[in-house]
Amino acid sequence: MNMIRTLEQMEKKVLMLKKKHRVAVASAQDSNTIGAINKAVKKGLIEAILIGNTAEIKKTCKSEGIDDSIFTLIESPDEIRASAEAVKLAKTGGADIVMKGLVGTDKFLKAVMDKEKGLMLPDAVISYVCALEIPLYHKLLFITDTAVIPFPNLEQKIAMARYAIEMAQKFGIEKPKIALIGASEKMSRHFENSIDYSIMCKMADRNQIKDCIMDGPLDIFLACDKKSLAIKGVETPVNGDADILLFPSLESSNPFYKGLMLFANCELAGLIRGTEKPVIVMSRSESELSKYFCIALSCLMA
Amino acid sequence: MVLKNMNDLKHLVDGEARKKLVLAAAEDQHSLGAVIKAWKENIIEPILVGDAEGIHNICAANNYDITGLRIINVTDPEKAVETAVRMVSSKQADVLMKGKIGTATVLKSILNKEWGLRTGKLLSHFALFEADTYHKVIAVTDVAMNIAPTLHDKIAIVNNSVACLNRLGYKMPKVAVLGAVEMVNENMQATLDAALLSKMNQRDQIKNCIIDGPLAFDNAVSLESAQLKGIKSEVAGDTDILLMPDIEVGNVLYKSLVFFAKAKVASIILGAMVPIVLTSRSDSEEAKFDSILLAAAASR
Repeated sequence: MNMIRTLEQMEKKVLMLKKKHRVAVASAQDSNTIGAINKAVKKGLIEAILIGNTAEIKKTCKSEGIDDSIFTLIESPDEIRASAEAVKLAKTGGADIVMKGLVGTDKFLKAVMDKEKGLMLPDAVISYVCALEIPLYHKLLFITDTAVIPFPNLEQKIAMARYAIEMAQKFGIEKPKIALIGASEKMSRHFENSIDYSIMCKMADRNQIKDCIMDGPLDIFLACDKKSLAIKGVETPVNGDADILLFPSLESSNPFYKGLMLFANCELAGLIRGTEKPVIVMSRSESELSKYFCIALSCLMA
Repeated sequence: MVLKNMNDLKHLVDGEARKKLVLAAAEDQHSLGAVIKAWKENIIEPILVGDAEGIHNICAANNYDITGLRIINVTDPEKAVETAVRMVSSKQADVLMKGKIGTATVLKSILNKEWGLRTGKLLSHFALFEADTYHKVIAVTDVAMNIAPTLHDKIAIVNNSVACLNRLGYKMPKVAVLGAVEMVNENMQATLDAALLSKMNQRDQIKNCIIDGPLAFDNAVSLESAQLKGIKSEVAGDTDILLMPDIEVGNVLYKSLVFFAKAKVASIILGAMVPIVLTSRSDSEEAKFDSILLAAAASR
């Protein structure tokens, strides 16, 4: 399989698979979400089930010039019940993918992570991986965790690495290079993450974390820029050619990707990992195109 | 270069100026025997500090000819140790050896702030083994001094032993960090420390050596067993230094090598200004002789 280097190539790949997935959207009465869903339906990627205030959904469709008859609409009185309904559909086989609409992430995830009715895999860590398309980088960059775990512990970091590797492999990268991001490449007692990172590298050496080339701590220059390696005289198997960046905290990963979106003209597609079925969670302020790419990504991972 | 056996240590000191070894509380038959043998073989130039009468009596009883040997008469063993240590710290001697006196007293003197042998480094025990079943000598550390070394201590222990092998001519000694398994296991601290030491070595924070670990004992000393397990390691099967997780493992390994594998052993204390021969009464005269040889070679 050829390596997918852009989000458009990813969309093409999904279209070639010619498999329509059913997406259940919780609280769909949001023009951005409906726009993205409409595009995905029109392209033949998905069938959509929109759950929420149906009058509001129809109104939004009308004002956007979208034909609401191509969707299945389900009435639900509030965002909590809409989320539960979407999750229930996925759980009982009525949908393949769940997507968050105009509902708070915490409320939506509560439904997803419900022990009995939710979509969590047994004992799984719930995390988030996204594929970033950066015009100045020569390929997609997968980053984790930009949305769910504030301060991942060692176990969570290992899970994050595995999810990111799994996603990169779906993009045709057999043995992704994964950089564990820190402020410096040195080990220091003052940076607890550097301790976790050393442990993970040894686990990768010993094949306890499979199918990757791992190194860390590395700063972003050493991870993504060959010139910096030469200047600093650091040798690393990631070799300035990282496919995946694993961040030590939400506070470092979140500003990283948002900064890139805002200032570097980036596009992204992200997904919750650790669930039985793909779960799309996007910030409400995300663009329609990003949302569309998320839907395409969820089809690739489904 | 590597040392195949204890005899190779001799080649290192051959033709070099003899090192001055000061034996503290020298009125001890086993120590004297080994020291005099090393003197006769031109390995060291001994200075005996202790009860002169006792020393002469032992030598007479054992037919040791000590004509021309320097003896400093200090009858009180504690004072003898102080005298010997002061000689080393004032550069009048190159190696310190313990005679008939308790280890604790010697250590106290070594650590004396005014006239001791402190360098700011951790003191650690370094044992070098020659076993027929391994293709070269192998160092085991720490089997006698540090009880439950922390990561910080382990770094110091590795640095001490790497510096020692560097002085013995090894450019990049291979260090295996021993565990019960070669996998990283969160419940086994030794395996976590091993991962950290490996990474610090990769980042050149521990220099002049190649570190890998965790490695189980068999992976560390047998390439075949490492390959069977699919371990890719520059160290596996060719270890120069085995780093012990704690003193229990180290001590048991040391003694099983001696008793079951009939290995020869030489041991010294590292981390002070000079190598220190601190063998115990139960060590054979051969082990004491080899320890003197090791100390002389390591103080070059």
